[in-house]
Amino acid sequence: MIDVQALSKKFGNNLVLSDITTSIQKGEVVAIIGPSGSGKSTFLRCLNLLETPSSGTIEINGKNLTSSKKEIHKIRQQIGMVFQHFHLFPHMTVRENLMYAPMKAKGVKKYDAEEKAHQLLERVGLAQKADAYPNSLSGGQKQRVAIARALAMEPELMLFDEPTSALDPEMVKEVLEVMKDLAKSGMTMLVVTHEMGFAREVADRVLFLDHGVLVEEGEPESFFKHPTSERARDFLDKVL
Amino acid sequence: MNLDFSQIVPYIPFMLEGIWVTLKFVFFAIILGSILGTLLALFKIGSVKPLRWFADAYTSIFRGTPLILQLMIIYYSIPQLTGYDISPFLSAILAFGLNSSAYISEIIRAGIQAVDKGQLEAAQALGVPYSAMMKDIILPQALKNILPALMNEFITLTKESAIVSTIGYLDLMRRAQVVGADLFRNFEPLLFVGLIYWCLVMGLTVIGRMVERRLKLSD
Repeated sequence: MIDVQALSKKFGNNLVLSDITTSIQKGEVVAIIGPSGSGKSTFLRCLNLLETPSSGTIEINGKNLTSSKKEIHKIRQQIGMVFQHFHLFPHMTVRENLMYAPMKAKGVKKYDAEEKAHQLLERVGLAQKADAYPNSLSGGQKQRVAIARALAMEPELMLFDEPTSALDPEMVKEVLEVMKDLAKSGMTMLVVTHEMGFAREVADRVLFLDHGVLVEEGEPESFFKHPTSERARDFLDKVL
Repeated sequence: MNLDFSQIVPYIPFMLEGIWVTLKFVFFAIILGSILGTLLALFKIGSVKPLRWFADAYTSIFRGTPLILQLMIIYYSIPQLTGYDISPFLSAILAFGLNSSAYISEIIRAGIQAVDKGQLEAAQALGVPYSAMMKDIILPQALKNILPALMNEFITLTKESAIVSTIGYLDLMRRAQVVGADLFRNFEPLLFVGLIYWCLVMGLTVIGRMVERRLKLSD
Protein backbone atom coordinates (compact mmCIF):
# COMPACT_ATOMS: atom_id res chain seq x y z
CA MET A 1 0.00 0.00 0.00
CA ILE A 2 2.81 2.39 0.89
CA ASP A 3 6.16 2.08 -0.76
CA VAL A 4 8.96 4.33 0.40
CA GLN A 5 12.20 4.39 -1.60
CA ALA A 6 15.39 6.10 -0.47
CA LEU A 7 13.53 8.88 1.31
CA SER A 8 15.71 11.71 2.59
CA LYS A 9 14.82 15.00 4.18
CA LYS A 10 17.06 17.94 4.94
CA PHE A 11 16.27 21.03 6.96
CA GLY A 12 18.94 23.38 5.69
CA ASN A 13 22.15 21.43 6.07
CA ASN A 14 20.68 19.22 8.72
CA LEU A 15 19.96 15.72 7.44
CA VAL A 16 16.87 14.60 9.34
CA LEU A 17 15.99 11.50 7.36
CA SER A 18 18.54 9.57 5.43
CA ASP A 19 17.80 7.02 2.78
CA ILE A 20 14.76 5.36 4.28
CA THR A 21 13.33 2.45 2.35
CA THR A 22 10.39 0.44 3.58
CA SER A 23 6.91 -0.64 2.61
CA ILE A 24 3.68 -1.05 4.48
CA GLN A 25 0.95 -3.53 3.59
CA LYS A 26 -2.75 -2.90 3.71
CA GLY A 27 -4.16 -3.62 7.17
CA GLU A 28 -0.78 -3.51 8.82
CA VAL A 29 -0.22 -1.67 12.09
CA VAL A 30 3.28 -0.27 12.25
CA ALA A 31 4.81 1.39 15.31
CA ILE A 32 7.61 3.84 14.69
CA ILE A 33 9.85 4.28 17.70
CA GLY A 34 13.16 5.87 18.49
CA PRO A 35 14.77 8.56 20.61
CA SER A 36 13.53 12.13 20.28
CA GLY A 37 15.05 13.92 17.33
CA SER A 38 15.43 10.65 15.45
CA GLY A 39 13.18 11.81 12.60
CA LYS A 40 10.12 9.67 13.43
CA SER A 41 7.65 12.52 13.15
CA THR A 42 9.31 13.95 10.07
CA PHE A 43 9.06 10.54 8.42
CA LEU A 44 5.36 10.35 9.22
CA ARG A 45 4.76 13.90 8.01
CA CYS A 46 6.46 13.13 4.71
CA LEU A 47 3.84 10.47 4.03
CA ASN A 48 1.12 13.08 3.53
CA LEU A 49 3.50 15.77 2.34
CA LEU A 50 3.19 18.02 5.35
CA GLU A 51 6.95 17.91 4.84
CA THR A 52 8.30 17.80 1.32
CA PRO A 53 10.96 15.10 0.94
CA SER A 54 14.34 16.32 -0.27
CA SER A 55 14.84 13.17 -2.32
CA GLY A 56 13.43 9.71 -2.76
CA THR A 57 9.95 8.57 -3.68
CA ILE A 58 6.79 7.70 -1.81
CA GLU A 59 4.08 5.70 -3.50
CA ILE A 60 0.68 5.24 -1.96
CA ASN A 61 -1.58 2.78 -3.76
CA GLY A 62 0.72 3.05 -6.76
CA LYS A 63 0.48 6.87 -6.87
CA ASN A 64 3.73 8.76 -6.61
CA LEU A 65 3.19 11.47 -4.00
CA THR A 66 6.01 13.80 -4.88
CA SER A 67 5.13 13.99 -8.56
CA SER A 68 1.39 14.49 -8.09
CA LYS A 69 1.34 17.72 -6.14
CA LYS A 70 -1.77 18.86 -7.94
CA GLU A 71 -3.69 15.89 -6.66
CA ILE A 72 -2.32 16.18 -3.16
CA HIS A 73 -5.73 17.15 -1.78
CA LYS A 74 -7.25 13.97 -3.15
CA ILE A 75 -4.43 11.84 -1.79
CA ARG A 76 -4.55 13.50 1.62
CA GLN A 77 -8.25 12.79 1.83
CA GLN A 78 -7.39 9.10 1.92
CA ILE A 79 -4.85 9.57 4.69
CA GLY A 80 -6.09 10.45 8.14
CA MET A 81 -3.70 12.17 10.51
CA VAL A 82 -3.81 12.55 14.27
CA PHE A 83 -1.50 15.08 15.88
CA GLN A 84 0.16 15.23 19.26
CA HIS A 85 -1.63 18.47 20.07
CA PHE A 86 -4.99 17.49 18.52
CA HIS A 87 -5.42 20.64 16.42
CA LEU A 88 -9.19 20.55 16.63
CA PHE A 89 -10.86 23.62 15.14
CA PRO A 90 -11.60 25.65 18.29
CA HIS A 91 -14.34 27.80 16.76
CA MET A 92 -16.44 24.80 15.74
CA THR A 93 -18.39 22.38 17.89
CA VAL A 94 -17.28 18.77 18.07
CA ARG A 95 -19.93 17.79 15.54
CA GLU A 96 -18.90 20.58 13.16
CA ASN A 97 -15.28 19.49 13.50
CA LEU A 98 -16.29 16.08 12.19
CA MET A 99 -18.60 17.36 9.47
CA TYR A 100 -16.46 20.13 8.06
CA ALA A 101 -13.87 18.31 5.97
CA PRO A 102 -16.21 15.68 4.46
CA MET A 103 -18.57 18.44 3.36
CA LYS A 104 -15.96 20.88 2.12
CA ALA A 105 -13.38 18.54 0.64
CA LYS A 106 -15.49 15.62 -0.53
CA GLY A 107 -18.84 17.27 -1.11
CA VAL A 108 -20.68 14.97 1.27
CA LYS A 109 -24.29 16.06 1.91
CA LYS A 110 -24.95 17.73 5.23
CA TYR A 111 -27.38 15.06 6.37
CA ASP A 112 -24.93 12.24 5.57
CA ALA A 113 -22.05 14.06 7.23
CA GLU A 114 -24.13 14.52 10.36
CA GLU A 115 -25.13 10.86 10.40
CA LYS A 116 -21.50 9.81 10.00
CA ALA A 117 -20.36 12.22 12.70
CA HIS A 118 -22.90 10.78 15.06
CA GLN A 119 -21.77 7.20 14.37
CA LEU A 120 -18.12 8.06 14.87
CA LEU A 121 -18.72 9.97 18.09
CA GLU A 122 -20.64 6.97 19.34
CA ARG A 123 -17.70 4.79 18.37
CA VAL A 124 -15.20 6.86 20.37
CA GLY A 125 -17.68 7.18 23.23
CA LEU A 126 -18.33 10.91 22.96
CA ALA A 127 -21.81 11.15 21.47
CA GLN A 128 -22.92 13.31 24.40
CA LYS A 129 -20.24 15.91 23.54
CA ALA A 130 -21.39 16.59 20.00
CA ASP A 131 -22.45 20.17 20.75
CA ALA A 132 -19.53 21.03 23.01
CA TYR A 133 -16.64 23.20 21.90
CA PRO A 134 -13.18 21.59 21.95
CA ASN A 135 -11.92 23.90 24.70
CA SER A 136 -14.37 22.35 27.15
CA LEU A 137 -13.01 18.82 26.63
CA SER A 138 -10.22 17.00 28.44
CA GLY A 139 -7.07 16.08 26.55
CA GLY A 140 -8.14 12.49 26.12
CA GLN A 141 -11.54 13.52 24.83
CA LYS A 142 -9.94 15.98 22.42
CA GLN A 143 -7.73 13.28 21.01
CA ARG A 144 -10.66 10.89 20.59
CA VAL A 145 -12.53 13.62 18.73
CA ALA A 146 -9.44 14.20 16.58
CA ILE A 147 -9.36 10.51 15.71
CA ALA A 148 -13.06 10.60 14.87
CA ARG A 149 -12.51 13.70 12.75
CA ALA A 150 -9.84 11.92 10.73
CA LEU A 151 -12.06 8.84 10.36
CA ALA A 152 -14.93 10.98 9.10
CA MET A 153 -13.04 11.28 5.81
CA GLU A 154 -13.12 7.46 5.55
CA PRO A 155 -9.38 7.20 5.04
CA GLU A 156 -7.59 4.05 3.94
CA LEU A 157 -4.64 4.83 6.12
CA MET A 158 -4.21 6.54 9.48
CA LEU A 159 -1.08 8.33 10.67
CA PHE A 160 -0.66 8.97 14.38
CA ASP A 161 2.01 11.45 15.45
CA GLU A 162 2.67 10.78 19.14
CA PRO A 163 -1.06 10.74 19.88
CA THR A 164 -0.67 10.28 23.63
CA SER A 165 2.43 12.35 24.36
CA ALA A 166 0.57 15.52 25.30
CA LEU A 167 -1.92 13.74 27.54
CA ASP A 168 -2.08 13.42 31.30
CA PRO A 169 -1.20 9.85 32.25
CA GLU A 170 -4.74 8.91 33.25
CA MET A 171 -6.03 9.83 29.80
CA VAL A 172 -3.59 7.78 27.78
CA LYS A 173 -5.58 4.60 28.12
CA GLU A 174 -8.84 5.86 26.67
CA VAL A 175 -7.04 7.02 23.54
CA LEU A 176 -5.08 3.79 23.19
CA GLU A 177 -8.31 1.81 23.55
CA VAL A 178 -9.80 3.66 20.59
CA MET A 179 -6.66 3.01 18.60
CA LYS A 180 -6.69 -0.68 19.47
CA ASP A 181 -10.29 -0.91 18.30
CA LEU A 182 -9.31 0.75 15.09
CA ALA A 183 -6.43 -1.66 14.59
CA LYS A 184 -8.77 -4.61 15.13
CA SER A 185 -11.13 -3.26 12.50
CA GLY A 186 -8.37 -3.74 9.94
CA MET A 187 -7.28 -0.13 9.48
CA THR A 188 -3.78 0.41 8.14
CA MET A 189 -2.01 2.44 10.81
CA LEU A 190 1.36 4.09 11.28
CA VAL A 191 1.94 5.18 14.84
CA VAL A 192 4.84 7.26 16.09
CA THR A 193 4.80 6.47 19.78
CA HIS A 194 6.60 6.30 23.06
CA GLU A 195 4.10 3.77 24.37
CA MET A 196 6.18 0.64 24.19
CA GLY A 197 3.35 -1.41 25.66
CA PHE A 198 1.08 -0.36 22.84
CA ALA A 199 3.73 -1.05 20.22
CA ARG A 200 4.31 -4.49 21.64
CA GLU A 201 0.70 -5.43 21.99
CA VAL A 202 -0.93 -3.92 18.92
CA ALA A 203 1.71 -3.41 16.24
CA ASP A 204 2.42 -5.99 13.57
CA ARG A 205 5.80 -4.47 12.98
CA VAL A 206 8.15 -2.02 14.64
CA LEU A 207 10.39 0.46 12.85
CA PHE A 208 13.26 1.77 14.93
CA LEU A 209 14.73 5.09 13.80
CA ASP A 210 17.80 6.80 15.16
CA HIS A 211 19.45 9.95 13.77
CA GLY A 212 17.29 9.77 10.68
CA VAL A 213 18.30 6.23 9.82
CA LEU A 214 16.00 3.24 9.79
CA VAL A 215 18.20 1.12 12.00
CA GLU A 216 16.05 -1.90 12.53
CA GLU A 217 12.61 -3.26 11.75
CA GLY A 218 10.87 -6.41 12.80
CA GLU A 219 8.03 -8.04 14.65
CA PRO A 220 7.47 -6.56 18.08
CA GLU A 221 8.08 -9.82 19.93
CA SER A 222 11.53 -10.38 18.53
CA PHE A 223 12.40 -6.68 18.41
CA PHE A 224 11.68 -6.08 22.06
CA LYS A 225 13.24 -9.35 23.22
CA HIS A 226 16.25 -9.52 20.98
CA PRO A 227 17.04 -6.25 19.27
CA THR A 228 19.87 -6.91 16.85
CA SER A 229 21.42 -3.44 16.73
CA GLU A 230 23.45 -1.80 19.44
CA ARG A 231 21.45 1.42 19.20
CA ALA A 232 18.10 -0.29 19.61
CA ARG A 233 19.43 -2.15 22.64
CA ASP A 234 20.62 1.11 24.17
CA PHE A 235 17.30 2.76 23.52
CA LEU A 236 15.24 -0.09 24.92
CA ASP A 237 17.44 -0.22 28.01
CA LYS A 238 16.58 3.41 28.69
CA VAL A 239 12.85 3.25 28.12
CA LEU A 240 11.82 -0.15 29.41
CA MET B 1 -18.10 84.23 29.05
CA ASN B 2 -19.70 84.54 25.68
CA LEU B 3 -21.40 81.20 25.10
CA ASP B 4 -24.87 80.89 23.67
CA PHE B 5 -26.06 77.48 22.58
CA SER B 6 -29.58 78.71 21.87
CA GLN B 7 -28.26 80.30 18.69
CA ILE B 8 -27.42 76.97 17.07
CA VAL B 9 -30.84 75.46 17.77
CA PRO B 10 -32.28 76.30 14.31
CA TYR B 11 -29.24 74.66 12.72
CA ILE B 12 -29.46 71.42 14.67
CA PRO B 13 -31.45 69.49 12.03
CA PHE B 14 -28.93 70.62 9.41
CA MET B 15 -26.04 69.38 11.51
CA LEU B 16 -27.75 66.14 12.50
CA GLU B 17 -28.20 65.36 8.83
CA GLY B 18 -24.40 65.26 8.73
CA ILE B 19 -24.43 62.09 10.83
CA TRP B 20 -26.04 60.22 8.00
CA VAL B 21 -23.76 61.81 5.40
CA THR B 22 -20.65 60.93 7.39
CA LEU B 23 -21.81 57.42 8.24
CA LYS B 24 -22.73 56.71 4.64
CA PHE B 25 -19.25 57.14 3.25
CA VAL B 26 -17.51 55.76 6.35
CA PHE B 27 -19.60 52.61 5.95
CA PHE B 28 -18.60 52.10 2.32
CA ALA B 29 -14.98 53.00 3.09
CA ILE B 30 -14.85 50.36 5.84
CA ILE B 31 -16.34 47.74 3.49
CA LEU B 32 -13.89 48.63 0.72
CA GLY B 33 -10.98 48.77 3.16
CA SER B 34 -11.85 45.41 4.71
CA ILE B 35 -12.23 43.54 1.43
CA LEU B 36 -9.11 45.07 -0.08
CA GLY B 37 -7.20 44.70 3.18
CA THR B 38 -8.03 40.98 3.38
CA LEU B 39 -6.92 40.47 -0.21
CA LEU B 40 -3.66 42.33 0.41
CA ALA B 41 -3.05 40.30 3.57
CA LEU B 42 -3.54 37.08 1.59
CA PHE B 43 -1.09 38.37 -1.01
CA LYS B 44 1.44 39.13 1.71
CA ILE B 45 1.37 35.66 3.23
CA GLY B 46 0.97 33.88 -0.12
CA SER B 47 3.71 32.27 -2.16
CA VAL B 48 3.28 34.32 -5.35
CA LYS B 49 6.17 36.77 -5.29
CA PRO B 50 4.82 39.51 -7.62
CA LEU B 51 1.63 39.71 -5.55
CA ARG B 52 3.70 39.96 -2.39
CA TRP B 53 5.72 42.80 -3.86
CA PHE B 54 2.61 44.55 -5.01
CA ALA B 55 1.00 44.32 -1.57
CA ASP B 56 4.16 45.54 0.16
CA ALA B 57 4.57 48.45 -2.24
CA TYR B 58 0.90 49.34 -1.89
CA THR B 59 1.13 49.40 1.90
CA SER B 60 4.30 51.43 1.81
CA ILE B 61 2.74 54.11 -0.42
CA PHE B 62 -0.59 54.44 1.38
CA ARG B 63 0.95 54.37 4.84
CA GLY B 64 3.82 56.57 3.81
CA THR B 65 1.87 59.61 2.61
CA PRO B 66 -0.73 61.80 4.35
CA LEU B 67 -4.35 60.78 3.98
CA ILE B 68 -5.39 64.33 3.19
CA LEU B 69 -2.92 64.33 0.30
CA GLN B 70 -4.35 61.08 -1.05
CA LEU B 71 -7.82 62.53 -0.81
CA MET B 72 -6.81 65.68 -2.69
CA ILE B 73 -4.97 63.72 -5.36
CA ILE B 74 -8.00 61.53 -5.99
CA TYR B 75 -10.45 64.43 -5.97
CA TYR B 76 -8.44 66.78 -8.17
CA SER B 77 -6.38 64.51 -10.39
CA ILE B 78 -9.12 62.22 -11.68
CA PRO B 79 -11.04 65.06 -13.40
CA GLN B 80 -7.78 66.52 -14.68
CA LEU B 81 -6.46 63.24 -16.07
CA THR B 82 -9.61 61.52 -17.26
CA GLY B 83 -12.19 64.23 -17.58
CA TYR B 84 -14.48 62.30 -15.28
CA ASP B 85 -15.97 64.66 -12.74
CA ILE B 86 -15.64 62.60 -9.59
CA SER B 87 -17.98 63.46 -6.75
CA PRO B 88 -16.68 64.28 -3.27
CA PHE B 89 -18.62 61.26 -2.01
CA LEU B 90 -16.86 58.81 -4.33
CA SER B 91 -13.47 60.44 -3.76
CA ALA B 92 -13.95 60.11 -0.03
CA ILE B 93 -14.87 56.43 -0.24
CA LEU B 94 -11.90 55.73 -2.49
CA ALA B 95 -9.36 57.67 -0.45
CA PHE B 96 -10.47 56.28 2.91
CA GLY B 97 -11.06 52.76 1.60
CA LEU B 98 -7.70 52.53 -0.17
CA ASN B 99 -5.87 54.11 2.73
CA SER B 100 -7.36 51.99 5.47
CA SER B 101 -6.92 48.80 3.43
CA ALA B 102 -3.16 49.29 3.85
CA TYR B 103 -3.53 49.39 7.63
CA ILE B 104 -6.13 46.62 7.73
CA SER B 105 -3.95 44.34 5.62
CA GLU B 106 -1.18 44.62 8.20
CA ILE B 107 -3.58 43.87 11.03
CA ILE B 108 -5.01 40.84 9.25
CA ARG B 109 -1.59 39.56 8.22
CA ALA B 110 -0.45 39.64 11.83
CA GLY B 111 -3.68 37.93 12.85
CA ILE B 112 -3.29 35.12 10.33
CA GLN B 113 0.31 34.54 11.32
CA ALA B 114 -0.68 34.32 14.96
CA VAL B 115 -3.05 31.41 14.30
CA ASP B 116 -1.49 28.15 15.47
CA LYS B 117 0.31 26.49 12.57
CA GLY B 118 -1.29 23.22 13.61
CA GLN B 119 -4.64 24.51 12.40
CA LEU B 120 -3.25 24.86 8.92
CA GLU B 121 -1.67 21.42 9.07
CA ALA B 122 -4.84 19.82 10.36
CA ALA B 123 -6.84 21.34 7.51
CA GLN B 124 -4.20 20.31 4.97
CA ALA B 125 -4.05 16.79 6.33
CA LEU B 126 -7.81 16.53 5.89
CA GLY B 127 -7.43 17.51 2.25
CA VAL B 128 -9.32 20.79 2.61
CA PRO B 129 -8.55 23.13 -0.32
CA TYR B 130 -6.57 26.31 0.43
CA SER B 131 -9.37 28.80 -0.19
CA ALA B 132 -11.86 26.95 2.01
CA MET B 133 -9.24 26.54 4.71
CA MET B 134 -8.51 30.27 4.75
CA LYS B 135 -12.18 31.23 4.75
CA ASP B 136 -13.50 28.73 7.28
CA ILE B 137 -10.56 27.84 9.52
CA ILE B 138 -7.82 30.47 9.53
CA LEU B 139 -9.59 33.81 9.00
CA PRO B 140 -12.33 33.27 11.61
CA GLN B 141 -9.69 32.49 14.22
CA ALA B 142 -7.51 35.39 13.09
CA LEU B 143 -10.50 37.71 13.25
CA LYS B 144 -11.10 36.85 16.86
CA ASN B 145 -7.57 37.85 17.81
CA ILE B 146 -7.46 41.06 15.81
CA LEU B 147 -10.91 42.38 16.57
CA PRO B 148 -9.70 45.04 19.04
CA ALA B 149 -7.07 46.28 16.57
CA LEU B 150 -9.63 46.26 13.80
CA MET B 151 -12.14 48.23 15.86
CA ASN B 152 -9.39 50.71 16.59
CA GLU B 153 -8.84 51.18 12.86
CA PHE B 154 -12.57 51.69 12.25
CA ILE B 155 -12.74 54.25 15.05
CA THR B 156 -9.77 56.14 13.64
CA LEU B 157 -11.39 56.08 10.23
CA THR B 158 -14.64 57.44 11.59
CA LYS B 159 -12.91 60.35 13.28
CA GLU B 160 -10.46 61.09 10.50
CA SER B 161 -13.41 61.19 8.14
CA ALA B 162 -13.67 64.85 9.18
CA ILE B 163 -10.97 65.76 6.70
CA VAL B 164 -13.35 65.22 3.78
CA SER B 165 -14.65 68.63 4.74
CA THR B 166 -11.60 69.94 2.87
CA ILE B 167 -13.01 68.85 -0.49
CA GLY B 168 -16.40 70.33 0.23
CA TYR B 169 -18.21 67.17 1.17
CA LEU B 170 -21.05 68.17 3.48
CA ASP B 171 -20.19 65.88 6.39
CA LEU B 172 -20.56 66.64 10.09
CA MET B 173 -17.39 68.68 10.26
CA ARG B 174 -18.20 70.75 7.18
CA ARG B 175 -21.66 71.45 8.49
CA ALA B 176 -20.26 72.78 11.74
CA GLN B 177 -18.05 75.12 9.74
CA VAL B 178 -20.99 76.27 7.62
CA VAL B 179 -23.05 76.99 10.71
CA GLY B 180 -20.09 78.74 12.32
CA ALA B 181 -19.68 80.99 9.31
CA ASP B 182 -23.38 81.76 9.29
CA LEU B 183 -23.52 82.70 12.97
CA PHE B 184 -20.08 84.22 13.35
CA ARG B 185 -19.75 81.84 16.29
CA ASN B 186 -17.67 78.72 15.84
CA PHE B 187 -17.29 77.27 19.26
CA GLU B 188 -20.88 76.07 19.76
CA PRO B 189 -21.36 74.22 16.48
CA LEU B 190 -17.88 72.67 16.76
CA LEU B 191 -18.62 71.51 20.27
CA PHE B 192 -21.94 70.13 19.09
CA VAL B 193 -20.49 67.98 16.31
CA GLY B 194 -17.66 67.01 18.62
CA LEU B 195 -20.25 65.46 20.88
CA ILE B 196 -21.80 63.67 17.90
CA TYR B 197 -18.42 62.21 16.84
CA TRP B 198 -17.91 60.98 20.38
CA CYS B 199 -21.33 59.29 20.35
CA LEU B 200 -20.58 57.63 17.02
CA VAL B 201 -17.31 56.25 18.36
CA MET B 202 -19.02 55.04 21.53
CA GLY B 203 -21.56 53.26 19.34
CA LEU B 204 -18.75 51.56 17.42
CA THR B 205 -17.09 50.57 20.67
CA VAL B 206 -20.28 48.94 21.92
CA ILE B 207 -20.74 47.06 18.64
CA GLY B 208 -17.12 45.88 18.86
CA ARG B 209 -17.64 44.59 22.38
CA MET B 210 -20.76 42.73 21.31
CA VAL B 211 -19.02 41.05 18.40
CA GLU B 212 -16.08 40.17 20.64
CA ARG B 213 -18.39 38.52 23.12
CA ARG B 214 -20.05 36.51 20.37
CA LEU B 215 -16.73 35.27 19.07
CA LYS B 216 -15.67 34.27 22.58
CA LEU B 217 -18.54 31.79 22.69
CA SER B 218 -16.24 28.86 21.91
CA ASP B 219 -13.89 29.52 24.84
